[in-house]
Amino acid sequence: MRGPLAGGVFFVSAGDDDAELHRLVDDIGRRAFDARLGQERRPEQFDAKLWHTLEESGLTRLTTTPDLGAGAAEMAVVLRGLARHAAAVPIAETDLLAAWLAKEADVAVPDSGPLTVALADAVIDGPRLVGVAPYVPWTRAAAAVLLAAETDDGLYVGLLEDVHIDDGSNLAGEPRDRVSVDVTLGSLRRLDGFVGEELRRRGAVARCVQILGALDAAAELSVAHTRERAQFGRPLSQFQAVQHALAAMAGEIERARAATTLAVAAAVDHGFAAQQTDYAAAVAKVVVGRAVGPVTRIAHQLHGAIGTTAEHSLWLATTRAQTWSTEFGCKAEYARRLGRMALEAASGEQALWDLVIGNRLGR
Amino acid sequence: MTRFGELCAIEPGLAELRASVREFLRNDREEFGWQPSVDSWLRGWDGAFSARLGDAGLLGLTIPERYGGRGLGHLHRYVVTEELLAHGAPVAAHLAADRQLAPGLLTFGSEEQRQRLLPGIARGRLYSAIGMSEPGAGSDLAAAQTKATRTGGGWILRGTKVWTSGAHLAHWMVVLARSSPLDTERRHAGFSQLLVPRVAAGVSISPIALISGEHHFNEVTFDDVFVPDADVLGEVGNGWHQVTAELSFERSGPERILSTMPLIDAAVRGLASSGGPDGRTTGEIGELVARLISLRQLSISVAHELADGDDAANRAALVKDLGTTFEQDSVDLIADLTGELDEDPAIRDLLDTAWLHKPLFTLRGGTNEVLRGVVARGMGLR
Repeated sequence: MRGPLAGGVFFVSAGDDDAELHRLVDDIGRRAFDARLGQERRPEQFDAKLWHTLEESGLTRLTTTPDLGAGAAEMAVVLRGLARHAAAVPIAETDLLAAWLAKEADVAVPDSGPLTVALADAVIDGPRLVGVAPYVPWTRAAAAVLLAAETDDGLYVGLLEDVHIDDGSNLAGEPRDRVSVDVTLGSLRRLDGFVGEELRRRGAVARCVQILGALDAAAELSVAHTRERAQFGRPLSQFQAVQHALAAMAGEIERARAATTLAVAAAVDHGFAAQQTDYAAAVAKVVVGRAVGPVTRIAHQLHGAIGTTAEHSLWLATTRAQTWSTEFGCKAEYARRLGRMALEAASGEQALWDLVIGNRLGR
Repeated sequence: MTRFGELCAIEPGLAELRASVREFLRNDREEFGWQPSVDSWLRGWDGAFSARLGDAGLLGLTIPERYGGRGLGHLHRYVVTEELLAHGAPVAAHLAADRQLAPGLLTFGSEEQRQRLLPGIARGRLYSAIGMSEPGAGSDLAAAQTKATRTGGGWILRGTKVWTSGAHLAHWMVVLARSSPLDTERRHAGFSQLLVPRVAAGVSISPIALISGEHHFNEVTFDDVFVPDADVLGEVGNGWHQVTAELSFERSGPERILSTMPLIDAAVRGLASSGGPDGRTTGEIGELVARLISLRQLSISVAHELADGDDAANRAALVKDLGTTFEQDSVDLIADLTGELDEDPAIRDLLDTAWLHKPLFTLRGGTNEVLRGVVARGMGLR
């Protein structure tokens, strides 16, 4: 499959405009992976050396640096490529979320260094805004933490100084911290609630792209392992049961790639706020989320006991895919959203079939 | 033109074509009263419909204009086909001719054959059946034993084909036969494709009834049927290559995803008008629709690659495996979702028909087990 998410076990060569970027990201990701080999553990450590390389290569603020002329497609190349090598850097959080939101709110953030967004549920209490952001990525690594507080009165955005952090991590060991917020309203900008929705949608699409990178890695490892490992006098890959399991895995991944490619295309063409992107992001979230279970299960099954150990790198891919699928909304939430769209289409003028083909959106 | 529009096959050019198919279907159904059916590409044999479709310029999309077609691209054909299937239109009569025989003639046929057969296909008047499987050759097609023996000015055909859809109604049958003896080292060598008229002397056709009682399948016996050289398709001995050359198109098309779309459409409409289902049911509808959309995306991405001349064989095999599995699953899902609705005879009828037909979905055109083997080879495993 061509486009920003080109890759996977059937892939021959990019052969398009993105080919050079694909190679660059893959090269950087691979070197970072090799440098950390044997040191990966939960919780993850921020890879400062990799961040430095990415910053030098101009890849950390792709969509928010106007001069670069880069958008969601280039960002997708970077996100998938780095996820495939289990990079420990908050690249989606920095560019696609924090730097974008800072611009929307006209809040100044540092030009370099990683950024993160503290997505909080908050209430307004007189002159203060009080709440909790329960799940903030990479807080300690970030040069700045941008608060995005959802209230009954819209989205409040501002830089958080003196952050109170309770350290935590997700299943893959990536930092996901609890941040308590108690700040004066005067230090914040108020935006419409739909900006908060767009923030989540950006996060959801980013995670789908990253999951694809992790699933591609799991499939590559599984193919390699089953070709090397011999039992009963022949490589595992010679057994039909194993071949069919790998084919099932590839099917889930290619289907997920097709759905995510549509979501990225929608964002490129219409922006993350558009109805097309809302639709395609919901589809991707459900389909990618659905793929994670079978792909990770088959990958572990085919690896046998070695795949359950800390020293083997399979867990870097499988735990990331699993944990990312729960972030920025679970698949059930997006499935209900899509179900409502379907019921609405079926009862109104737009037939269900039109929804299936992506017709008459955004009018 | 946007990338999103391109991936959805709704960009300018295709959108107008799509609209004209819908208009045709609306008017045609109003006038002739056919009912949307599941699996309409097997069940819905309606020569008059195919002829009207041809007259409306909606057949032979990829056939060059000099042979009576429209001279358009693969995606144009894709859009017309998926609209017809999604609306459950009776397309069975022309499907094999339009999908297999026409591309086969264009790639391998003689100029005389093209001039003789393509205009009829484009007009929706010429139908063909595909004679491949045999009693002893199902998934293992290379075990086919139907034999073509050289004689003066042509070939003598002898053998039996089974599961031949529409052979009793089609004008022609494209028969895969051994034209030289089996070489056990090279089992795929020595096949040829022969065009045989249904009415040729020595052809006998007996029906094979489906569980439903419907007659689509046949057993066809060739008892020393003479086939003139002019009716050999392509090169003698090149039959295996010829039948596999177009497989990616056949495996990845909309008919591998949409066989149950009329059922899904009716069921979701029924649920929507029943006062809005609960959250869990709504979520299940969303999952079903997400699967369908993603499969269509995969199918269209393969269509684009094939249109550009790329080899998409592995992903085409995946479309058929995943798509037909979805078709099967959709029947059970819809049965669950509509279980508590008030009895609706139309949905009930679609459901019953879909249930009786669904075992076929993952068998026809190569079993899914064979396809997974193709995928595994693509992954470098065999």
